[in-house]
Amino acid sequence: MIPLSHFMLISAGLFCIGLYAVLTKRNAIQILIGIEFMINAAILNFVAFGKFDKFEGGGQMFALFAIVLAAAGVAVALAIILNVYKHFKTIDPAKIDTLKD
Amino acid sequence: MSYILSILIFLPLVAALIILILPTSFRDRFKYIALGTTIVQFLISVFIYLEFNSTSAFAGVNKENQFQLLEKVSWIRLDLGSIGKLEIDYLLGIDGLSMPFLILSALVMFVATLASWEIKTNLKAFFALLLLLNTAIIGVFCALDFFLFYIFYELMLLPLYFLIGMWGGVRREYAAIKFFLYTLFGSVFMLLVIIGLYFSVINPATGNHTFNMILMMDPANYIDGSIFSSIANQSLLGISARLLAFIVLFVAFAIKVPVVPLHTWLPDAHVEAPTPVSIILAGLLLKVGGYGILRVCFSIFPDAAVSSAWWLGLLGVVSIVYGALNALAQTDLKRLIAYSSVSHMGFVLLGIASCTTEGVSGAMLQMISHGGLSAMLFFLVGMIYQRVHDREIANFRGLALIMPQFTAFVMIAFFASLGLPGFSAFMAEAFSLIGAFTSQDVNGFLPRWMAIAGSVGILLSAAYFLWTLQRMFFGQTRLKGGDEWLARLKDANLREKFALVPLAALALLLGIFPSLVFSKMNASVLAFIQLISG
Amino acid sequence: METLNFSDSTLCIMSILMIVMPLLSFSAVLIRRTSGGNFAVFNISISFIISILIFLTVWNKNIVHEQLTWFSVGERQFTAGILLNNLSVLMMVLVSGISTLVHIYSLSYMKGDANINKYWAYLGLFCFSMLGLVISDSLLLIYLFWELVGFSSYLLIGFWFTKPAASQAAKKAFIMNRIGDIGFLCGIMIIYSQFQTLDIVKLFGEGGLVSSARIDDGLWISTTSQMPAIWLSIAGLALFTGAIAKSAQFPLHTWLPDAMEGPTSVSSLIHAATMVAAGVFLLGRVYPILDHFTLNVITAIGIITAFMAATIALTQNDIKRILAYSTISQLGFMIAAMGIGAYGESMFHLATHAFFKCLLFLAAGAVIHQLHHFKEQHQLDFDHQDIRRMGGLRKQMPVAFITMCIAAVSLAGLPFSSGYLSKDALLITSFEWAEGFHGVKKAVPYVLVLSSWMTVFYISRLIFKVFLGKSRFEGIHDPPSPMNRTLMVLAFCSIFILFSFNPFSYENSWLVQGFQDAGVLRLDPLHIVVPLAVNLVSVAIIYCAYIIYVRKDAKVFSDESFFYRFSNRAWYLNEAYTFLFTRPAESVSHFSYQFDKRVVDGIINFLGSVIRILSSISDWVDRRIVDGAINSVAELAKSIGNLSRKFQTGHLQHYLITMLTVVIAFFILNYFL
Repeated sequence: MIPLSHFMLISAGLFCIGLYAVLTKRNAIQILIGIEFMINAAILNFVAFGKFDKFEGGGQMFALFAIVLAAAGVAVALAIILNVYKHFKTIDPAKIDTLKD
Repeated sequence: MSYILSILIFLPLVAALIILILPTSFRDRFKYIALGTTIVQFLISVFIYLEFNSTSAFAGVNKENQFQLLEKVSWIRLDLGSIGKLEIDYLLGIDGLSMPFLILSALVMFVATLASWEIKTNLKAFFALLLLLNTAIIGVFCALDFFLFYIFYELMLLPLYFLIGMWGGVRREYAAIKFFLYTLFGSVFMLLVIIGLYFSVINPATGNHTFNMILMMDPANYIDGSIFSSIANQSLLGISARLLAFIVLFVAFAIKVPVVPLHTWLPDAHVEAPTPVSIILAGLLLKVGGYGILRVCFSIFPDAAVSSAWWLGLLGVVSIVYGALNALAQTDLKRLIAYSSVSHMGFVLLGIASCTTEGVSGAMLQMISHGGLSAMLFFLVGMIYQRVHDREIANFRGLALIMPQFTAFVMIAFFASLGLPGFSAFMAEAFSLIGAFTSQDVNGFLPRWMAIAGSVGILLSAAYFLWTLQRMFFGQTRLKGGDEWLARLKDANLREKFALVPLAALALLLGIFPSLVFSKMNASVLAFIQLISG
Repeated sequence: METLNFSDSTLCIMSILMIVMPLLSFSAVLIRRTSGGNFAVFNISISFIISILIFLTVWNKNIVHEQLTWFSVGERQFTAGILLNNLSVLMMVLVSGISTLVHIYSLSYMKGDANINKYWAYLGLFCFSMLGLVISDSLLLIYLFWELVGFSSYLLIGFWFTKPAASQAAKKAFIMNRIGDIGFLCGIMIIYSQFQTLDIVKLFGEGGLVSSARIDDGLWISTTSQMPAIWLSIAGLALFTGAIAKSAQFPLHTWLPDAMEGPTSVSSLIHAATMVAAGVFLLGRVYPILDHFTLNVITAIGIITAFMAATIALTQNDIKRILAYSTISQLGFMIAAMGIGAYGESMFHLATHAFFKCLLFLAAGAVIHQLHHFKEQHQLDFDHQDIRRMGGLRKQMPVAFITMCIAAVSLAGLPFSSGYLSKDALLITSFEWAEGFHGVKKAVPYVLVLSSWMTVFYISRLIFKVFLGKSRFEGIHDPPSPMNRTLMVLAFCSIFILFSFNPFSYENSWLVQGFQDAGVLRLDPLHIVVPLAVNLVSVAIIYCAYIIYVRKDAKVFSDESFFYRFSNRAWYLNEAYTFLFTRPAESVSHFSYQFDKRVVDGIINFLGSVIRILSSISDWVDRRIVDGAINSVAELAKSIGNLSRKFQTGHLQHYLITMLTVVIAFFILNYFL
């Protein structure tokens, strides 16, 4: 049986890769991919911890719920990115700084 | 009928508001509105004079029920908790000491308004301020509540400051500020005394602290051990608190009178002020000082007045002689008259300080007389200044040849001022001096030499007036401005005569029938003397 | 003489009418501007007629005294009223009579003057005040008219106001009189303070307050109050100061010669006959209050004046100035007579002097008038008042010559003239008075006699220089008839007959009998010796003058000698007064003005600048320290704000990094601290 720690390590690795992509990439799509990495890291954790849950299948159910939500979130994010592109003619987040004071 | 004093006071204020509301296109009418107001005021004051009851049952001074045309309205009542209830009344009334000033005020205001024809700029503000000043002055003479008195007293300053500062001569800002600060200096300390009095005096009817001046005159109304109680005899800064308060009040009013050495605002203010303001300054403002000394200083603090009478007499004599000597040295006609005012008002102080019926009556008459005569003198100076914009005595000569009527008025004014019998100033000065002289016998306040030294002022006044007359009016005509001036120096016109004749008539009338004033105030003067000596 | 009987109230109404009539001439000028000559003459004539009626009723009969309350001050009532007794009715007739004559004279004398209407007005005002003065019953009222008299004199002296000398003289006269007025006022103050009334009858009447007051233990005690005894003398001296100024006595006499700048008719009326006599009149009114010391001072001043003015008159060349000094000298006689108690004699001399001095002036005026016309006709330029330029007018102007001679005889005190009577009265009484004393007082009559001899000399000099000698003016003649007639009437009044039917005895004169006698012991021999001696010497003096000035045989006075210049420059008194009083007064006034400007106002301005300096210091403190502290707090907040601004880059990734950092920091803090 694979010990829990392995899942955790992979999940952490995934999360770090995703975080790195989110913080460094110059393309909104890549950042979105990074976010997906991080969500998947979380889903992996759900599934892995599900084994220790009192209720059977609780972790899986949350994972499924998160996947659906992530899919919806991606759809919305892509739409936003599309609109951002329309507005700024770029999707490089470093160039979009209108949130500045 | 019973609101007649309020009408008298607030009529000009209403007129001022009307002027302010009217559009500027009516600017030529403003002076007629002001003139009409003063005429109505004059008629009302004449009516008051005729109806005035001069019997001793209506002497006034320190008995509220003896005042005439009394108006008493509760004005401000504030519960201040532990300190008590604030009691300020709208209290107006007149007695023999204030009634003559109402007529004088109305008359001088009338003349000042006639003199305002020469004002050409910003008429709306000018007449509004003039009428506001009118309200304040009449108010001061009628107010019997110290708080109300103080409000009117301070209200006089504001219009005067602007009238001098905006329509004055070259150094008008200097003069206006000097005048304002000088007077404010006095009145600020007066406020302290007013507050002190407020906390010392209780209205026996209500048990509250009060600002009622008449109640302040009765020692019985003072709280035991309060700061100004004459029984407790508290001391401040090493001297008796009552004496200190008297001195503070006296300084405040002495600045207005003005008494040497507090007089230096006067020549500057007069020289820079426009003619109507000079007329009001000399004719009425100075009288407020003398009236204040009588009504406030002496009546509320008779004990302190008695103990400092000698010094007041000395100040009076110094003012008489010093003012006259300074007038002798002047080269500017208006400044000369300003200093002559200092000298003539010295008689007022001397007369009051004597605390005799003759002296106080003389001082009162002198104030009325000087009010009319100084207004006349300043009006006459204004006539020359308006024509050629020069007042230097040396620049004129032989004016009698080209302006005979003007010269006749000048001679009347000069001779009346220098105390020619038959004119009011003579009676006034003679009785001030007689009062000062008899003081030694009657109450021992003033030594006899003061009266004799004061009479030197009469000699000096003859010297400076006659010298001026000789230099400016007699001889062959010779003017600095040559033919141009000759063309502009027209004789007195109808409007000017209209202003001068009443003043000359007043001087002559009071000189021949001094009883016109004396009979109205005898009872009050006696009550006043009774208050001081009793 | 028919006995006239008017009731007291009628008399009072008449008196009021009398004094008001001339005032009408004054007011006429206000109403219409025509020359009111005839109107004025009419008014004053009415006054004169009324005054004669009053005189005949009152003289030597009961005293008329009516009064009403004028005004009251406090509880004291001041009355105004009319007091008619011998003194006032005599003065009344004198004043109105001479005024009438001068009015008539002026009709032609002042003819053609541009301001003639003013002249009548002023003259009317003068008559009004002078008549008012003599009938007033209270010191206050007398003082009022007293100053009005001075005022109208001021107006008349300065009548030709375009002449600088005239306006200067007018001012001088008024101010000199003012000095006296102040004395008078002080006297009034003392009397009022002592007796609480100014009513002459109550004060000085029979058994009046003044006589009932007593001096006790150095205190002057009246029924109502008391003061140190010195004030009695001061009161007398103060009242006398008024008389000194008005009657041109030493040392306040210098205004009178200058007053000659006015028209000659005015000089004649005011400055010779009437106004200057007011001082003597005043002394007569207040006589009971004068104590011994005061009377001695009065005598001294009187004789000094009589002597001094006589010496000055000796060398003057202006015809009017000679007469002016003569007037001063004669007034000195009257004042001295008052001082020695010769009340009636003094009034007698006042009356006779009024006529003959008026005549002298009017005759001189006639000469001046004619010379002035002569000068204008021939377009000459000379001083028409200088007696050195005159001479030989006897033939051309006989009326003027004869009348002036009569007046001169009267002034010199030669027999058959009115002056003889009154001057003898004075001299004899003074000798009689001096009998009672030893020492300096013995000298009084001798000084008077000396002065009277000098009078004889200067008046002879005047007559001889003007009328005798060679004529220099062809075609000059007597003035027009109104002037001539006036001179003749006055000449009649200057002879003895008007005053006494016996030309040699003044004691028979009705006028002297009308007043109480001097109270000196009558010494019969003096009544013969004195007139005889005095007049013999006088005649000798006239002869000397004749030799000196007409025959020009002898020359006594060198123009260069000290005494000549001393006399000619009037004892240098004008210069002395300028040096002693006028200049110092001017410098004191300038000093006091500089003091006012520099010191009194300087202190105020200094206080002002001190406050300005203080305020700029406090301004600095306020700006730099108080406000600085507030500002630095604000600065701090601002810099913190700026710092935090730096985090707001607008970059999404930066925010995320920040969040991450914070979360990590939170964990670190949570776990390791």
